[in-house]
Amino acid sequence: MPKAIENLILSHPKDNVATARSPLNAGTLLNLTEHKAIVAREHIPFGHKIALQKIKKGGAIIKYGERIGRTIREIKPGEWVHIHNVVGERGRGKGRKKG
Amino acid sequence: MNFLGYRRPDGKVGVRNHVLIIPSVACANEVCNAISLKVKGTISIPHQHGCAQLAFDAEQTARTLIGVGKNPNVAAVLVVGLGCEVVNSSMVASKISESGKPVKNLIIQEVGGSPKTIKEGIKISKELVSYASQLKRVKAKPDSLILGVECGGSDACSGLAANPALGVTSDLLVKEGGTIILSETTESIGAEHILARRAVNKKVREKIFEIIRRTEMRALNLGHDIGRANPAPGNYEGGITTLEEKSLGCVMKGGSTKVMEVVEYSEAPQKKGLVLMDTPGHDAESMTGLIAGGTQIIAFTTGRGNPLGSPIAPVIKIASNSFLYSKMQDNMDINAGEIVTGKKTIREIGESIYREVFRVASGKLTKSEICGHREFAINRIGPSF
Repeated sequence: MPKAIENLILSHPKDNVATARSPLNAGTLLNLTEHKAIVAREHIPFGHKIALQKIKKGGAIIKYGERIGRTIREIKPGEWVHIHNVVGERGRGKGRKKG
Repeated sequence: MNFLGYRRPDGKVGVRNHVLIIPSVACANEVCNAISLKVKGTISIPHQHGCAQLAFDAEQTARTLIGVGKNPNVAAVLVVGLGCEVVNSSMVASKISESGKPVKNLIIQEVGGSPKTIKEGIKISKELVSYASQLKRVKAKPDSLILGVECGGSDACSGLAANPALGVTSDLLVKEGGTIILSETTESIGAEHILARRAVNKKVREKIFEIIRRTEMRALNLGHDIGRANPAPGNYEGGITTLEEKSLGCVMKGGSTKVMEVVEYSEAPQKKGLVLMDTPGHDAESMTGLIAGGTQIIAFTTGRGNPLGSPIAPVIKIASNSFLYSKMQDNMDINAGEIVTGKKTIREIGESIYREVFRVASGKLTKSEICGHREFAINRIGPSF
């Protein structure tokens, strides 16, 4: 079940991104847990994703606890995660899970 | 929960009581439209197909037209053909009549042209409407319901709010003995392992992987990347980044029960419970496949604001976010955006969709019906020849 944290929705505990429940301005402080916080590095539109941790170049983006694509460059915590830094792997002859 | 529906001669129960005018081929479209304009209570379903199609497409068109005619929301049918088409109208009429409902057939070349066929069609349709108008709603059980679950114009909230809520609805209906059809194979790419894990047996599991492989390969063999067509620009704007992300959200509409069967486009399920139908992500084509498979009601989630309806099935529109709901209230039946704002839980919205399904089954009109949305599109596999 998705979980609301501050202005974010975390769809699965394994996720390395969360979804903005309202537009987030650059500089917004988001307390993820009592001991962990991130700052939005740029404007995050409503419904778009923010990185919860550093994700290396070529690394997997995890949402719903599943792989939804890979990064085309390193993504820093608090960065907007979208089509400018992530590509999908399916429908392109790659990544199909074997039956 | 019970509802009031129209019991048909084959034992199936309709939630609507339409008289349908079916052109077996595109050449009969305008004749069907002209008849429908003159007779209240009839619906014409013009389409582009029925001739100059390769065998698999001609067969799919025929299966779709027959399936739509047999749908329990349809009380009676008039099929109009040209006379020289591949999808023969007498064959379509005869197959539909196996369901026991009144079915008539007119062939333009035999009657003697368009005006004469229109005149004859109006006479027949008036009789069919008079028959249908005398049928009464009777008490029916939820196990006679097939609910199609669909999404279109999705945004990131679709997968976080509207689709998981609809998944709750799906689980509730399956528990009461009903059937859910989850479609849109393109939008299961990247989430097939989740569905396959829930397959009732090995055959169903293999079929799930097969329809996914087939869809992916169809685009690749044409030298194209599905990513250029799906996700759509509005999906990207709404925060969906990849097809996998869209799919993982999409399959939640089916809930969490076992996948009992996988059917072809427009094929009627033999099993109850959760069933998959192999349709494209194109919503009008997908919904046409669903109604041809016997779906009486469609529950449709949207984040960007999709207004599509269906000629014979009420379509319940569920907004995934409150911005959309307030902006397009004329098209939206339910607001799942209250999940995102924290006012309601996924469970609460799922239960309210479930109650709405039964209100609609008993006759409440949906916004798509009130707005007059009747989109109808038959999926085509190959080109015309």
